[in-house]
Amino acid sequence: MRKYLLRRAGYALGTLLGVSLTIFVVLRVIPGDPLVAILGAEGHAQMKPADRERIMADLGLSDPLPVQYGRWLIDIGAGRLGKSFFRGDTVAELIAHRGPISAEIGILALIVSWLVGLPIGILSAFKPNSIPDGLARALSILFIAIPGFWLGMLIVLALLFWFGYKAPFVIVQLWHDPWQNFQMVIGPAVVLGLAQGAYIARMSRSCLLEVISEDFVRTARAKGLREGLVVLRHALPNALLPVITISGVLLGFVLGGSVAVEQAFGVPGLGRALVVAVIERDIIVVQNLVLFYAVIFVAVNVLVDLSYAWLDPRIRFG
Amino acid sequence: MRVLLRELGRFSRRNTLAAIGGVVGLLIIFVALAAPLIAPRDPLKADFRRMNKPPDAQSLLGTDQVGRDTLSRVIYGARTSLFVAFSAVILGTTVGSLWGVACGYLRGRFDLVSQRIMEILQSFPDLILAMAISMAIGTGLQAVIFAIAITRIPFGGRVIRSVALSVREMPFVEAGRANGASALRVMAKHVLPQCVAPYLVLATTHLGVAIVIEAALGFLGVGVPPPTPTWGNMLADSITALVPPWWLAFFPGLAITITVLAFNLLGDGIRDTLDPRLSPGFLRLVTGAGRSAPAATGAAAAPTLTIPAGKS
Repeated sequence: MRKYLLRRAGYALGTLLGVSLTIFVVLRVIPGDPLVAILGAEGHAQMKPADRERIMADLGLSDPLPVQYGRWLIDIGAGRLGKSFFRGDTVAELIAHRGPISAEIGILALIVSWLVGLPIGILSAFKPNSIPDGLARALSILFIAIPGFWLGMLIVLALLFWFGYKAPFVIVQLWHDPWQNFQMVIGPAVVLGLAQGAYIARMSRSCLLEVISEDFVRTARAKGLREGLVVLRHALPNALLPVITISGVLLGFVLGGSVAVEQAFGVPGLGRALVVAVIERDIIVVQNLVLFYAVIFVAVNVLVDLSYAWLDPRIRFG
Repeated sequence: MRVLLRELGRFSRRNTLAAIGGVVGLLIIFVALAAPLIAPRDPLKADFRRMNKPPDAQSLLGTDQVGRDTLSRVIYGARTSLFVAFSAVILGTTVGSLWGVACGYLRGRFDLVSQRIMEILQSFPDLILAMAISMAIGTGLQAVIFAIAITRIPFGGRVIRSVALSVREMPFVEAGRANGASALRVMAKHVLPQCVAPYLVLATTHLGVAIVIEAALGFLGVGVPPPTPTWGNMLADSITALVPPWWLAFFPGLAITITVLAFNLLGDGIRDTLDPRLSPGFLRLVTGAGRSAPAATGAAAAPTLTIPAGKS
């Protein structure tokens, strides 16, 4: 087990190294002078060439690319993650400040998706092709199609009309004012959770139906067990594995989707910071935040892999 | 032609929902193509006498902050949004599929390296990768298409690779090899045709995703730049007002939802028809859930943990 863990972690690290290289290459493809992007064409033209060079050197943008890449890796190792062009704080500080909000949204969304998706999936599988099943499937198809950020916009609009809702401007951390913090994260979490819940309902239904036709389920029925117990005690545990997998994958949707949904709700989370950085063309911030998102995504996938072993004793690590 | 019609008839009897999705999808494509004929007004023409008007007889879906007709903008938006989504999916899936055929057929080191690259590409959440790429190469129509296409490559690569892996062991492929055909010829003549069905399934299932990514990019202000109307940047426009008019926020999003719904239904139907075996496991594959199993590529890859999908 430990050997497997080490190998899996090493493999993930290799992937992340490739990820960082990809980000670096993609963002350095940016045509044109980053200073023009920062200062605007006019501001750039007004500067003396010497000043320009000094600033470029200050920002570390005039070194050869391999040196810049190496320095970035060292920065990551030191936990600083580089500095914003426009603000003095490091990206690590930015993540520490804004990350908790986004993390809360992600975790709550996951909880919502299981709370909504699993019961619906089970109900559907109980009586396939019945009216409730049809309704559940129609709803899940609908919620997969609805873009989360649009649903978020509509909710915000409705709140604005009827309750005079205002988008939060300042970050309220969980440990300062839990209630206000909750109000801030619950909207995005529900919107993201519903879309994921739709996938989970669909997945758990199809997996349950597949398991229900197995021999051991027939045996359980044959010995006179109540149908509810058959499904909950015998079928469900065997159907959950793929649902957990898809949940890990869906986290990718949540990570990406939360960027747009945070924008829709006006929640100042990490996703919002990324959007602002992309629009300001703050390369260093974008570079580090994108890496951070990828790290989370890869880490979750490793965790999903490990949870298999814990949940399914038949699996042997090769 | 008659055969085709009969097949279509059978398909729609078996998959009513998919047929409805297909018809709605075709309708939307038609609206997009015929936009200049259908749209009641010029989507770019501002009319300062009619600003922020709610839906009425003169402009069915209302007007925006500078008096542009929302209905016309939604119709023209279909043009841009669909064009971006179709081009991106075709480009990304095609590149990915060809790459996947090469991986599955050639195997060996080329395959190993390719799998790692695809895995790296899949380590980013779709939207975030697309944002970074479109930021890097500029926010034009082509940039957005390119950005979305790159996020689609690994999905094509993985699915088609697994098809190619199984096809390469078939007798007719071996016969081709035994005849002395080059690897390129065997791939093109024997392996590629077998990949057409999964390719179609992939492309339709990813259309919806591409439309949503395009809309999200537009919404975040890094998509196709205004004034060209797309559904995404119309949504972004709508929330610039202090109290956004509901019709500006509602209708473009409704258009996105209906379109995605139609293509998703069609995709599900095509998948069930072309390969019913694919259904639940396939969903996992196209959503990338299979990525915990890179070990299939050989001993050097990550240790495998997978058991056959759903068979417990």
